[in-house]
Amino acid sequence: MSQREHPPVLAEGLGKKYSRGWALRDCSLEVPAGRIVALVGPNGAGKSTLMGMITGLLRPTTGRISVFGDEPNGRGMHRSVSFLTQAKPLYPQFTVAETLRYGRNANPGWDQAYAEELVEKAQVPFAAKVGTLSGGQRTRVALALALGKRPRLLMLDEPLADLDPLARESVLRTLVQECRTQGITVLLSSHVLAELEDVCDHLVLLADGRVRLAGDVSALLRANAQHRTLSQLALAYMRMEVAA
Amino acid sequence: MTWIVWRQQRPVFITLVAGLAVAVVAVLVLRASMSADLVARNLVDCAAKGLEACMGPAATEFQTAWFDKMHIALATVLAAPVLIGVFVGAPLFAREFEQGTHALAFTQSVSRTRWMATKFLVAALPALVVVVVYQLVVHSWLDVAGQLGPLSTGEFYFTVFDSRGVSPVAYTLFAYTLGMFAGALFKRTLVAMTLTLGLFVVVRVVVGGVRESLITPTRLISGDVAEPAVADRGPLVVRSGYLDAKGNVIADPAPMMNCGSKADAQGVVDTAACYRENGLAQRYADVIPTDQATTLHLLEGSIFAGLAVLFVLGSVWAVRRQV
Repeated sequence: MSQREHPPVLAEGLGKKYSRGWALRDCSLEVPAGRIVALVGPNGAGKSTLMGMITGLLRPTTGRISVFGDEPNGRGMHRSVSFLTQAKPLYPQFTVAETLRYGRNANPGWDQAYAEELVEKAQVPFAAKVGTLSGGQRTRVALALALGKRPRLLMLDEPLADLDPLARESVLRTLVQECRTQGITVLLSSHVLAELEDVCDHLVLLADGRVRLAGDVSALLRANAQHRTLSQLALAYMRMEVAA
Repeated sequence: MTWIVWRQQRPVFITLVAGLAVAVVAVLVLRASMSADLVARNLVDCAAKGLEACMGPAATEFQTAWFDKMHIALATVLAAPVLIGVFVGAPLFAREFEQGTHALAFTQSVSRTRWMATKFLVAALPALVVVVVYQLVVHSWLDVAGQLGPLSTGEFYFTVFDSRGVSPVAYTLFAYTLGMFAGALFKRTLVAMTLTLGLFVVVRVVVGGVRESLITPTRLISGDVAEPAVADRGPLVVRSGYLDAKGNVIADPAPMMNCGSKADAQGVVDTAACYRENGLAQRYADVIPTDQATTLHLLEGSIFAGLAVLFVLGSVWAVRRQV
């Protein structure tokens, strides 16, 4: 099977230059299958740029990237990948039920029962217009749309940024539960290091457009014994970056 | 996929259909009222033959009452394509980019090309049908007035020509794809709308100015140098002037037309004789005959259709490119 041969994401010397300068440079990394990967770094570190290139929305300036062995292009996203951005773009004029129907129409591998179950668990009314939902409810609908596609790689760019603490907790719990039971690889970017603590088992730390630290969380903690938690470790590296 | 786009375009579709319904009812009411007026003024025969065949002031009064109304209706047929371009074509992709929902569409399993193609067709078909229906309804009104209405200005008068045959459909395709391309390229609805309006007007005026050169004109010759070679308003006169005895076009006939001093005792000038004396042998007119109007519609329409194809290809490129 190709999924055994090819890791979810493999980047070699990946770089992206915008007119204002390099957003990501010389990035080589592998996202291993079945892990929940934390993608952390200060603002402007290149997290969203990296995710954009994995989806194919952005084209790399240098280097190569492959997603399950395929090179992302402008024709459409890889069937096994779901992407949820901070903005959680959904059509505001659609109802929740229509949004799920959208997912069913636009994705051949769509699991309607599963998506409906996720929406029911979140207690979001199906007849409500997406534009009228609260931030937390919107996120749950967007998550149902992303998971209903039955992806093998789920990418989340700051998915919790605009949620209150209760909603954060419930969204994150749903996310981890669903992904663990189904063996979905997750790439999760966040500023709030503490909430990644018990969730992520792999870390990719970006700073100033470069990969500063990447690897299994427990191995990294063993190698850096002075830090006891993932957030302490990440914070220490980010401080070093700012000082430099 | 069709359902998705249909659901998105539903408000646009409802607006189009409602607009069409109101316009069609208005035109049909005016048409019925005008038919009654024709009968009341006893002008039904006259409408078939033209103003010159009519006696009395009734025909003129009828024209005063109805001519401008019908011309306004023709003007709305001319305006319909650009409205479709600005309000249906321009927002088609620009709104997705503005709302950020293109990121949603681009991250589903459906390819961007298929997404585009579906959006293009589902939005375009109702708009085209609306334009065609409205065009036919307005012309059914004009046909009732016959030669007492705007049709008397001839096939080639711009309000008549541009609102007939395949022309409205060709203009609509052009405006719609232009709006779509501008929206996909600039990703801003307002920019796309403004560009569509501006470019549409410019291209229409330019093509309208040169379209008569698309057909090789037919030369009509009149032996009577005092009378124009074309009497009625039907054919489109591309060029006209004088020929010498050998049948060559006289480039500058003005000096040979100086007959003011040739008046006889009663002060009457025999212009024809004077012209012949000066070497003006015949009058000619290069015209596009009325029966070639359909050909001209198709030729001009193919220019706009060709531009539309270019805009579609441009949109495919703009949507599929990665930034």
